[in-house]
Amino acid sequence: MTKKTALLLLSLCLVLSGVSAQKQVKLVIAGRDGDYGNAMQVAVDAYMAKNPNVKFDVLKLSGDDVYQKTVIDLKSGTGTYDLILIDDPKVLQYQRAGWLTDLDAMFKKSGKTVDSDFISTVMDLCRYPNNAKGKLYSLPFVGNVSLFAYRADLFAKYGLSAPKTWDDVLVAAKTISEKESGVDGISFRGVKGNPILTAFLPIFWSFGADFTNASGNPTVNSPEAVKALKFFLELAKYGPKSTPMNNTAQVRDGLLAGTVGIAPEVWPAWLGKIDDPNESKVAGKVKITKHPEEVKKSSPMIGIWHIAIPAASRNKDAAFDFLTFLTSRETQKLMVLKAGLPPSRVSVFEDKEILAKYPWYPAISDALENGVARPRTLYWAEIENTMGGLIQEALIGQKTAEQALNEANAKIAEILKQ
Amino acid sequence: MKSIGKTRGKTLFFWSILLPALIVMLWLTVYPMITVFLTSFQNYNYISGRRRWIGLGNYRNILTDQVFLTSFKNTIVYCFSTTFLEVFLGTALALVFYGNFRGKSIFTILLILPMMLSTMVVSSVWKTLFHYDIGLLNTILSQIGLSRVGWLIDPKMALWSLVLVDVWQWTPFAFIVMQAGLSSIPQEVFEASVVDGATYRQRLFRITLPILRDQILLLCLLRTIDTFKIFSKVFALTGGGPGNATETTSFFVYREAFQYFNLGRSSAASMITLVAVVLMSIFYLRKMLNPREA
Repeated sequence: MTKKTALLLLSLCLVLSGVSAQKQVKLVIAGRDGDYGNAMQVAVDAYMAKNPNVKFDVLKLSGDDVYQKTVIDLKSGTGTYDLILIDDPKVLQYQRAGWLTDLDAMFKKSGKTVDSDFISTVMDLCRYPNNAKGKLYSLPFVGNVSLFAYRADLFAKYGLSAPKTWDDVLVAAKTISEKESGVDGISFRGVKGNPILTAFLPIFWSFGADFTNASGNPTVNSPEAVKALKFFLELAKYGPKSTPMNNTAQVRDGLLAGTVGIAPEVWPAWLGKIDDPNESKVAGKVKITKHPEEVKKSSPMIGIWHIAIPAASRNKDAAFDFLTFLTSRETQKLMVLKAGLPPSRVSVFEDKEILAKYPWYPAISDALENGVARPRTLYWAEIENTMGGLIQEALIGQKTAEQALNEANAKIAEILKQ
Repeated sequence: MKSIGKTRGKTLFFWSILLPALIVMLWLTVYPMITVFLTSFQNYNYISGRRRWIGLGNYRNILTDQVFLTSFKNTIVYCFSTTFLEVFLGTALALVFYGNFRGKSIFTILLILPMMLSTMVVSSVWKTLFHYDIGLLNTILSQIGLSRVGWLIDPKMALWSLVLVDVWQWTPFAFIVMQAGLSSIPQEVFEASVVDGATYRQRLFRITLPILRDQILLLCLLRTIDTFKIFSKVFALTGGGPGNATETTSFFVYREAFQYFNLGRSSAASMITLVAVVLMSIFYLRKMLNPREA
């Protein structure tokens, strides 16, 4: 072998390695832990099987961590992440700041279109402004919405009809609490901040209360809001004493163990094992629906998580290809069946295989269509913590409903003034 | 001439070994501290990028904020109670473990296990133990006929539950330091006092504890600084609740900085915390460095 041949082979190797290096793409996803993380892994594995040149680094972070890390990274424009998950009430910050890639342009560039299969109320939240004409900045990774669960067997036992209004719920909670030993009439999350506020909001809205009026001034101490909070505190009397420290695990486990009559705030991901006799003592006994109504219609809280491509990403095309794969009908179905992730497409909710596994799934699409989104504000984290803290103070008896909401209103006004 | 060259060489050598550490300290400690100090006088929101000079506005705002004042009070109560209890119990345990007896090393290892565990693990375990309905503590109480305690749900109790966890986790540290101090006292001192007819009580208060004074002060200093920064236990056990019963200054700073991204307010709160810690440290250090101040 001459020197010339060796040189030729060496250059060929270099060129080939260059070509293969070009094709290799690594996508970094700032994702969630728990069920969302498992579902993302299912999708990533399926995508990698078809696209061996694309590698992934899926970060499985807590809700707070994913927010902190993405805000710091996107603000500095370093482009660490190629795809990020965003909790719905915080998406406005990302949309307004111009941190996200315009997906309308990406769809146009790729020749693909956004199909109409996504639930329209959910899709509107992915646009800015939040209507069909707004620019698309994200797609719904998970069609999450709060639901209402109750023990149909206990309702039948005590002659209670399916609760149509919140007053019916109060009567049922009282009856079960008094008559069924070892079972709490009701159980919800009472930890200060997000958990307790999330439990309260479906009541708050259906009692006719809202965060602000037409001119943008806070109204969380309106007569309707006070009535809603008094009702909430009345309901809590029929719950466990540990309510102020109860979070997801306590409410979910109580429901599965059969020690809870009504769980007025449950999430689809908690319910994957509700009808599995190996995991649940109440298999086939729990009815899951959208929330009851009061003076206003049923108002489940929309809790979707968006997935978006940061404007600073260096792999936008590859990220977009994965994004369309992730939100496709087939992948959503796969994530439902393998990881119990609630979808955001109408066709997936109607899928026969999914309905056979989760007969209560129509409740999710029903709740999503009736769902209420939290206010679009840059200061949601502050408002949520403030109001959630004061509601807990009312729950533990440190403040009356009026005191808590008057203080919340004054503080929210101060926050909005910033 | 030769000696000048020698001195210059020494100085050069001195600076060359000091410089790397100095640069790291200036970059990682002094620079951030100055930045935090300057930011504390600004209304600075990281997300919106809005940043303007407001003088003492953040300090005025924070020092009239009920949540911060409660946080500060809670931090002080927590800091002093845990420090006192840990140093007291650590010293008592060291005295119990003084001398040689069978199984001493096994007991010592068992005793220091809690401080080897991660705070998040410790908090998770205690959260289960504290549970009102299914927790071990309340199960025991109800089985012996006592009423259940709202360890983490009663606003009057929650902070003391955190104190209990910290004492459980960090008393072993006080124990180790005091045990090391005790074993460094020459045996002859005790033997001589016994010959002179001193009782155990006299030996303890007139010999042992005065000799261990510096160790006790050092322990107080270390535990005060550490407990003043309490964060992870609050984060994992109570989230600052119920109500504001377990809010602390570190938790306040964290929320302002990393949940609301109000860097001005969080910097001001950090500066207030820093001043408090420095003042307390000066108090202990003066006592340690000045033997006449008993």
